[in-house]
Amino acid sequence: MDYSKQIQDIAAKLFADGKIDVFVGYRMNGFDDNQVPVVITDPKEVSTLVFTEKSVFNLSNYLKADHTRNKRAGLVVKGCDSRSLNLLLTESQVKRDRLYIIGIACEGVVDDKGQKMQNCIECIVPDAVVYDEMLGNPQGRKDYIVNADIKALAEKGLVERREYFEEIFENCIRCNACRHSCPLCYCAKCCIDQETASLYNGSNTASSAFHALMTWSLHLAGRCVDCRNCEKACPSHLPLHLLHKQNEKVIFENFQNHLAGVEEGERGAFYKYSLKDPDDFIM
Amino acid sequence: MSFSTFVTDKAGLQKMYEAIISKHETYAPVEKFGKYDYKKVSSLKECDPDSPIAETMSVKSLFFPRSSKIMKYEATSAGTSILETDQDPLTAQRVVLGVKHCDARGLQVLEAVNKWDYIDSDFLKRRENTVIFSARCDKAGTHCFCTSLDYDLENLDALDIAVVNGAEGKIYLQARTERGETFLKEKLEKSTMYNVQSTNDESEMKKQYVAFTASFRLKMDYKDINEKMAKRFDSPAFEEASRNCVSCNTCAFICPTCHCFKISDEKIKDTGVRYKSYDSCNNVYFTLEAGGHNPRPAKYRRWRQRSMHKFVYYKERFGVNLCVGCGHCAISCPVNISIFDVVNHIASTPVGS
Amino acid sequence: MEEVKDKIVSIEKPELLAPPDWKPVIVGILCNWCSYAGSDLTGTSRTQYPPNIRIIRVPCSSRVDPWFIIKALQTTADGVLISGCHPGDCHYISGNYYARRRFLVTRELLKMVGFHEHRVQFSWVSAAEGAKFAQVVKKVTEDVVKLGPLHLYKKENFNK
Repeated sequence: MDYSKQIQDIAAKLFADGKIDVFVGYRMNGFDDNQVPVVITDPKEVSTLVFTEKSVFNLSNYLKADHTRNKRAGLVVKGCDSRSLNLLLTESQVKRDRLYIIGIACEGVVDDKGQKMQNCIECIVPDAVVYDEMLGNPQGRKDYIVNADIKALAEKGLVERREYFEEIFENCIRCNACRHSCPLCYCAKCCIDQETASLYNGSNTASSAFHALMTWSLHLAGRCVDCRNCEKACPSHLPLHLLHKQNEKVIFENFQNHLAGVEEGERGAFYKYSLKDPDDFIM
Repeated sequence: MSFSTFVTDKAGLQKMYEAIISKHETYAPVEKFGKYDYKKVSSLKECDPDSPIAETMSVKSLFFPRSSKIMKYEATSAGTSILETDQDPLTAQRVVLGVKHCDARGLQVLEAVNKWDYIDSDFLKRRENTVIFSARCDKAGTHCFCTSLDYDLENLDALDIAVVNGAEGKIYLQARTERGETFLKEKLEKSTMYNVQSTNDESEMKKQYVAFTASFRLKMDYKDINEKMAKRFDSPAFEEASRNCVSCNTCAFICPTCHCFKISDEKIKDTGVRYKSYDSCNNVYFTLEAGGHNPRPAKYRRWRQRSMHKFVYYKERFGVNLCVGCGHCAISCPVNISIFDVVNHIASTPVGS
Repeated sequence: MEEVKDKIVSIEKPELLAPPDWKPVIVGILCNWCSYAGSDLTGTSRTQYPPNIRIIRVPCSSRVDPWFIIKALQTTADGVLISGCHPGDCHYISGNYYARRRFLVTRELLKMVGFHEHRVQFSWVSAAEGAKFAQVVKKVTEDVVKLGPLHLYKKENFNK
């Protein structure tokens, strides 16, 4: 999967035609064969753009207001990235007419060590769902698979699960990198970051991490697209996907097979309801 | 002043570590989810004093904790009272194994600010009561550039005992401070247990150091960096350098010398605990004032602040470079931005451009 | 409520015993129009129910952010009860439809992370169901008594 040349040509043309102020893509990191995001404003840098199976980071993160405020942007999105972009559009965080979107029919990306990433093995929506131009051969939607780690955890007993998650919460250092690297976390007054000072849990304890990670994942439930930006950013390598995939499973199985961001204009799972939603667990 | 040097082998070193762990409160890199963090250990099996550079968090958290309770209070209609917290008394001696040279240097650099306008006795007491064993830094990591900066790695006295590889499986233990000398001498009184011999021959240690220095991918021309950066405060290159940053706070949290903190209260009904916990100047709201004004709303301003603090302000005030060249910011950054690249690039741009 | 006689352990951490005088704390978040009014009716009808519940009134069950449940569990609560209007009877038409989606996901996530499923319970109680409210509170309290005190992720200085 190598669309480097095509993307360089498209970006060059967009700059030449004056259609964009900034282009968000990937470049080689300069010291090994992995890639990092790059935000280009100078058309001369277009030749550094690449796209291969090492293009991992979800670039729609850069469309949050902090990064490309009031700028017209061109960007490259894979299947999952385009779903989070779709949600940003639906939630009025970015204007469609300011974007030129290059969608990729993604064949899966690999991590730093060259292993195919878990979310790509279990991918349901490989093709970009919103784009101005599509590169690659669309494969169509795949069947939903329950995440392997969630399946394994569901079989363990209560105390075992509690011990496992206690270790995760104890190792969180409360840096909030997960929340900043997530494209869908754009609240100006974030409930897990210090902006909401009166309610903030400032200590670095398991209790504080429990509050942050649980509340964060529940606020993302029904919107998370499993791009793994959060896991990649976490300096303690916490397996954050466990929380998100658990929510995704419950939502898919109980709310009419809902998947975040696949339809244009569709909001997250918690912004809709059905009369058929289960409530037999409610007394 | 020269201190003692001893030579042993891998088996002897293991035995010595095990003896230390069994008799002293010992901290060492413990692996969890693929990352090594300094935790208290009760046996050598739990930890790895030679943990990989790229996966090891900073030892700073043992001296400047990620969050510490500074006060407990009770506020009722009858009045307010301050209660004691149950922070550790910091009086017992403890040992830390496997500390990278740059990490130890970071602690040394931080002493200046902790003795400045406010004497942070917690930090200083913790350092005073800790014996630091170095890791066997053999080969530079991808992002390391410690040898380029303003400290002497070969004779680094930021650590108490240097552990250095020699030829043919020999391992040298060299005391670098009084504290280290006393500790080592006490430990090695019965030197037959650890197959240790005293030595005056430092030639192999020097050879190892030369080989180590040659293994660096990154070398910075440090000579005038501080002056160059000082002149480039208004450089538009900061905007370009910070464009890919996502302001995630990770770099400040894992940096061996970042020391910004925030104070927050956690209150339930009438009682509360006041915590001091890590903060990052890269955070969008770091400089947000109570009145709503934020002097550093734009990313490039925050990046400029960070780079200048690391390479200009601290040097101007305390005479030492704040950045110690460990490269952890680049390793942990989700988009691999390295302060080495940023500073080199900006220092090479023309002034006033 | 009778005194806890047998040895009760904290079910998520079976090595921890409940103190002999332990009484559970249930945090109840009730919607103003149905459940809160229903609980009022229970009171005026003089129907007895366990006094362990502390009630918080919200305008609608959909006001309940999962954060409230997390916060309650982090502080004094051993159990949480959330109650709203029956589906179709919400004062704000559809609030409880949104709420029940959130309830399910929150409950499943808490279960996954190691909380027993009876720690957080939900009910639909209308303004006329004074008797039902008493039954619901009795059930939740009995369930939580069996589970023992919650000792998971409590904030540093919580005290009962």
